[in-house]
Amino acid sequence: MAADNILQRVAEIIIDELKLEDLTPVTFDPDMDLVDELGIDSMDLTTVVLVLQDEYGITIDEDDYPRLSTLRLIAEYIEGKLKE
Amino acid sequence: MNPSRTAGTNAATGRGQKQYRFSELIAEHGVRDRWEKVRKYFFLRESTYDMTNRCNIRCDGCYYYEGDKQHAVENQSVDDWRRLMEMEKERGITFVVLAGAEPSLVPERCRACFQVMPLGCIASNGFKAIPEDIGYKIHISVWGNDDTSLRIRNAKNLLRRQIENYRGDPRAVFVYTFTRNNIDEVYGVTETLAENGCRITFNMFSSPVGYSGELRHTEETLMKSRETMMDLLGKFPESVLFSPYNVVAHTHRLALHDLFSCSYPRMNHSTDIGLGRSFKQYRTDLTWDRDAACCVPDTDCADCRHYAAGSAVVTARLYRHTGDPDRFKSWLDYVDTYLAVWVMGYEKGTNLCDRMIPPPGHEIF
Repeated sequence: MAADNILQRVAEIIIDELKLEDLTPVTFDPDMDLVDELGIDSMDLTTVVLVLQDEYGITIDEDDYPRLSTLRLIAEYIEGKLKE
Repeated sequence: MNPSRTAGTNAATGRGQKQYRFSELIAEHGVRDRWEKVRKYFFLRESTYDMTNRCNIRCDGCYYYEGDKQHAVENQSVDDWRRLMEMEKERGITFVVLAGAEPSLVPERCRACFQVMPLGCIASNGFKAIPEDIGYKIHISVWGNDDTSLRIRNAKNLLRRQIENYRGDPRAVFVYTFTRNNIDEVYGVTETLAENGCRITFNMFSSPVGYSGELRHTEETLMKSRETMMDLLGKFPESVLFSPYNVVAHTHRLALHDLFSCSYPRMNHSTDIGLGRSFKQYRTDLTWDRDAACCVPDTDCADCRHYAAGSAVVTARLYRHTGDPDRFKSWLDYVDTYLAVWVMGYEKGTNLCDRMIPPPGHEIF
C-alpha cells in the first residue's frame, strides 16, 4: 500500500472520528503535532487507534502511543507494521 | 480495510480467544448508542483546586489535613481565582473539581470559577448549602448514619442536614464512603436517601499516607463491601449510580494503580499525552506540585480505591477493555456512571453488563 494512500486514509479517519470540521485530508498538515497543535487527548488517540487497527488489521500497542504524534508518524508507523 | 488481515490481538485478549474488531464491539445497537453517548464527553480535561484551608467539621482520616497542603497561605482574592480559571481555560482545562477543605465556606470563589468554567464539581460535606446559581455538580460526602457521623466527624444530625440542604437538587450526588466499620449502615442510609429522592454513589475509604486507624479495609471488608454494593444496586436501581464493573474496580484486592496503572502525574511521569500532561492539583495559594498531583493527594497509592481516581484511571484505559464484548460493555457502564456522577445534565442509562467482569489481566478479586 503506497505511503501517500495511507497518509490520505489516516487523515480521513482522524477527521471523521474526531469531527474536525475545519480540516480536510488536503489541508491537514502531516507534520502538525496532534497534541500540541490540534489539542487531541488520550481518549481521542485511543479512539483513532481502535479504528486504525480495524482498518489495517494491525495491533498498535499502548506503549507506542507517544510515537504517534503527527499524521505522518502515524502513517509511517502503519507502513512499518504492514511490512512486518 | 484490508480483508487479507485479521484484527490484531487486543491487550485484554488471551491466546486462543476470538479477537474482536472494534467495529464488532460497537455493532450492537445499544452498545453503539452508548459509545456515541459517552464519547461526546471525551473533550473533558480536568484539574483540581483546594479552595480554602477551613472546614466546619473535622473528620477522622480526612485527606485535606494530611501533608503540607493544609499549610499553604490561602489566596483570598476572588479576582485571582477568576484569573486562574481564565488561565486554566487557555491551557485547555474544561472541567474543574473544587475540593478541600470545605468549598461551601467560600461561595464567592466557587461562583467566580463557575462564571469562567461552566463544567465542574464541588466536593462538600453538605453541612452548609451551596447557592443555587453555582451550577456545578455537588458531591456530598456521607460516612455512615448520624450516629457514626457524630462519632467520626463530630457532626450532629449530619445526614438530616445534608438531605434538607439538597433534597430535589439536580446538582447533588451523595457519596457514601465504605469504611471497615460502616458497611451494614449503608442499607439504612441508602433507603433514607432513596425515600427523599436523592441519588447516591459509592466510594471506598483509601488510607492517607501513614494512616494506621481503624477505617482501613481488609480483604474481608473489601469482599463484604462488594457484596453489599451489588445488593444495593439490585434493590435501588433508580437511586444508586453505580455498575457491576464499578463494584469490581473499587473493591478488588488490588488497588487502582495496580489494576490499571494510575494516570495522574504523581504516579505517571509521562508528559506526552493525557492526565500526565494536563492535570494539576492547585493548593489554596494557587501553586501546584507535580510530584504530589493527583485527585486526592496524600492518599497511600497502594490503598487507593477512590471513586474520583477511578473515574479518570479506568476511563483512560479504554484500549485495555476492547478484548471482548462484555468487557467493553462493562467499561461503557463505568464511563456512563462516571459522567452521571460528575457532569451536570448527563443522565445514566441502564447498565449494559449486569455481571461482574474481571479487570484486564487480573482475577475477579
